[in-house]
Amino acid sequence: MTQTARNARSVQVLGIDAGGTMTDTFFVDADGDFVVGKAQTTPANEAQGLLESSREGLEHWGLTLEDALRNIQTGVYSGTAMLNRVVQRKGLRVGLIVNAGMEDFHRMGRAIQAYLGFAYEDRIHINTHYYDDPLVPRDLTRGVAERIDMMGTVVIPLNEDTARTAARELIAEDVEGIVISLLHSYKNPTHERRVRDIVEDEVKASGKPIPVFASTDYYPVRKETHRTNTTVLEAYAAEPSRQTLHGISGAFKDHGSKFDFRVMATHGGTISWKAKELARTIVSGPIGGVIGAKYLGEKLGYRNIACSDIGGTSFDVALITQGELTIRNDPDMARLVLSLPLVAMDSVGAGAGSFVRLDPYTKAIKLGPDSAGYRVGVCWAESGIDTVSISDCHVVLGYLNPDNFLGGQVKLDRQRAWDAIKVQVADPLGMSVEDAAAGVIELLDAELRDYMRSMISGKGYSPGSFTCFSYGGAGPVHTYGYTEGLGFEDVIVPAWAAGFSAFGCAAADFEYRYDKSLDINIDTDAHEADKASQAEVLQAAWDELTERVLEEFERNGYAADKVELQPGFRMQYRGQLNDLEIESPIASAGGADDWDRLVSAFNDTYGRVYAASARSPELGYSVTGAIMRGTVPIPKPKIPEEPLHDATPPREARTGTRQFYRKGRWVEAQLYRMETLLPGNQIVGPAIIESDATTFVVPDGFETWLDEHRLFHLKEL
Amino acid sequence: MAYTEAKIRDLVDGTIDQDTLHQMLSMPKDQERFEIYLEILQEQVPWDDRIILPLGPKLFIVQRAEDKKWVIRSWAGHDFCDWTENWKLHAKVRVRDTPEAMEKLYPKLMAPSTGWQVIREYFCPLSGDLLDVEAPTPWYPVIHDFEPDIDTFYRDWLGLEVPERA
Repeated sequence: MTQTARNARSVQVLGIDAGGTMTDTFFVDADGDFVVGKAQTTPANEAQGLLESSREGLEHWGLTLEDALRNIQTGVYSGTAMLNRVVQRKGLRVGLIVNAGMEDFHRMGRAIQAYLGFAYEDRIHINTHYYDDPLVPRDLTRGVAERIDMMGTVVIPLNEDTARTAARELIAEDVEGIVISLLHSYKNPTHERRVRDIVEDEVKASGKPIPVFASTDYYPVRKETHRTNTTVLEAYAAEPSRQTLHGISGAFKDHGSKFDFRVMATHGGTISWKAKELARTIVSGPIGGVIGAKYLGEKLGYRNIACSDIGGTSFDVALITQGELTIRNDPDMARLVLSLPLVAMDSVGAGAGSFVRLDPYTKAIKLGPDSAGYRVGVCWAESGIDTVSISDCHVVLGYLNPDNFLGGQVKLDRQRAWDAIKVQVADPLGMSVEDAAAGVIELLDAELRDYMRSMISGKGYSPGSFTCFSYGGAGPVHTYGYTEGLGFEDVIVPAWAAGFSAFGCAAADFEYRYDKSLDINIDTDAHEADKASQAEVLQAAWDELTERVLEEFERNGYAADKVELQPGFRMQYRGQLNDLEIESPIASAGGADDWDRLVSAFNDTYGRVYAASARSPELGYSVTGAIMRGTVPIPKPKIPEEPLHDATPPREARTGTRQFYRKGRWVEAQLYRMETLLPGNQIVGPAIIESDATTFVVPDGFETWLDEHRLFHLKEL
Repeated sequence: MAYTEAKIRDLVDGTIDQDTLHQMLSMPKDQERFEIYLEILQEQVPWDDRIILPLGPKLFIVQRAEDKKWVIRSWAGHDFCDWTENWKLHAKVRVRDTPEAMEKLYPKLMAPSTGWQVIREYFCPLSGDLLDVEAPTPWYPVIHDFEPDIDTFYRDWLGLEVPERA
């Protein structure tokens, strides 16, 4: 962040986080210095907000967009465009081929899809449940006669005529993609592949450019609805996103960039926008922060991290234990169950933009679940919002500087917020405006704190063994509130909290990951020959997945010898319900010895994740899936390392004072400029540390110090 | 939380968007909804007598203009009875109590056994509109569905004056 040598600066890495509210950009130069840019998201044409955010960020370095882009080698994008397309069900017209007699299963979906994403109150309030229109309507669904059972045995041979007829009918309907998903094709793909070939022949004969997607080529994993939904998404939503990303790439190229954008994917790596499996980039924003925390943890030695991110609309929490992420295999998104490996994260719909209302009968304060999103709240006159939001309370209580929101890009009106809180909250409760607003903040803090506590203890851990990372535009405003009393080992706020997700994207590996379901079951004391043959089954799956990983890298011009492969597997004690994802200690599996090494890697991990005494090898072992990950080296942001200074902040960092209300009284909070603080500085609350993109609140009873990596450590006194 | 008249009209017409509907279901009820809802219904029905409470899509308790008596009236304008009585006793009824009658609705063997359950359909004698259906055991009396305490509803719940009642 130093301002020296600005003209010699060579910008290397660009990370982008295009969220629902704000578009953040994160630039890193060759020395590892970084700068964060922020602008409001422009959903109609994403490139516009992106360029704006980049300009804003680069201005801090005195660089123009063109100067900076010339040197950048790597750019990583994460955003919500594809998710929005799916949420709004505005995808392409897709045809679906399934088993004859099963044509309705996609339309019926899974019952859970009727209430996915709902708040708890609504989940148990059945009247609110509803089914969305299916991604593929019934009249574009066709059946083919065949059946393979769950063991992979052919029960009814494929009737090729039915496949041909199905293909011709769908082609005649002018669909924009054809998806094939047959029962148990993950176990035995022969029929599905044959149908795919027939459909491709028919498409070719028709002369129409219709892409064909067979589930086994993309997501060969069990669970029909999950697999079918995910494959349909490839056809339905990923293709248009490819165009969007192409457009963004183009907009940056117009300004002189020479790199190809990569996209953050659900598994925590980045992939090219040219990738075959693009549906897995459907959510990426919140993952960026987790990857960033993991990267910092690896470099600086934090093994157990609780990642917490508050944006305008939600509070996301993820745990990193012993340096490892948890991957969830059947996540849900946009009210669909899917088969994607997703970095496990839990969210509640409470953020800085959440609306605040009173229940007209009980007069209880209710937060959310809806929010003002990028429109901030009543305090922003142009927003058109007339319901009080959390941000309004922040402005009234002095947490936020109304003249410096987003570096002054948006002017907030404290009086408007004050008046709205008075009418909507304070007067009906018979309280003063300050007390009402402070009550709202305390309620939010308590909700987030309880949530955080239950997240960690629900998984069998204690906050005492975790370091809490707090980031996101609004995270540092609340860090004290949701960590108070939980007893975290340490609480860390990176000075670049607002751009932390974008930083994480830039720190993510260029990584493809493929998964395949397996059903290996074996006794603890199985015969050597059985162990060897099961190891071979696993190896065959790894071979198949390796081929796909290498194919993806080849698309991006990386030869096979440049790719580092890491096989993995999912294993569980036989008969248990939950499996664990294990990195394989061996590059390939052949004999019984290899099998034993896989098993001991699993036993080790199980003992670490749960408890050594909970291990149950007497049950035998099941392998439920094979995983192959491939990476190639890419430049990553360096973590800053600056010399330590005095505990006393430099005079120029003090920018004045502001009245700040908490716990029933107004206090004079010392204001600091975040960028001007030096490593080693120590600040005792009440203090508010401001930068353009974020505000870090240190109330009385807390103190913070800035370490040599520009990380603030927050401590209760 | 207030909704525009247009949104409530969509609600009445069954064309409301899912997001707003979900919000209406999840949030505390908006105080003024009932009055707006009644105004919209009042515009749509083919008579001018004041609607006191809707009982179904085509059935209402109304204040009859000529004598201020509260009666149960169908959309088409048939007055069944006093608002405190069971209007079904005054309606046209079809009882499905044979397998043949059931099989007009259900595939064979997928209908209730009529020894255990019958279906009674209640119609408006003027228009033939189907106003209600009940599916009780064969011997069960005609069900009196809803006996609203309108005075409390208007006065205490909504803070409205109870309309005149002769």
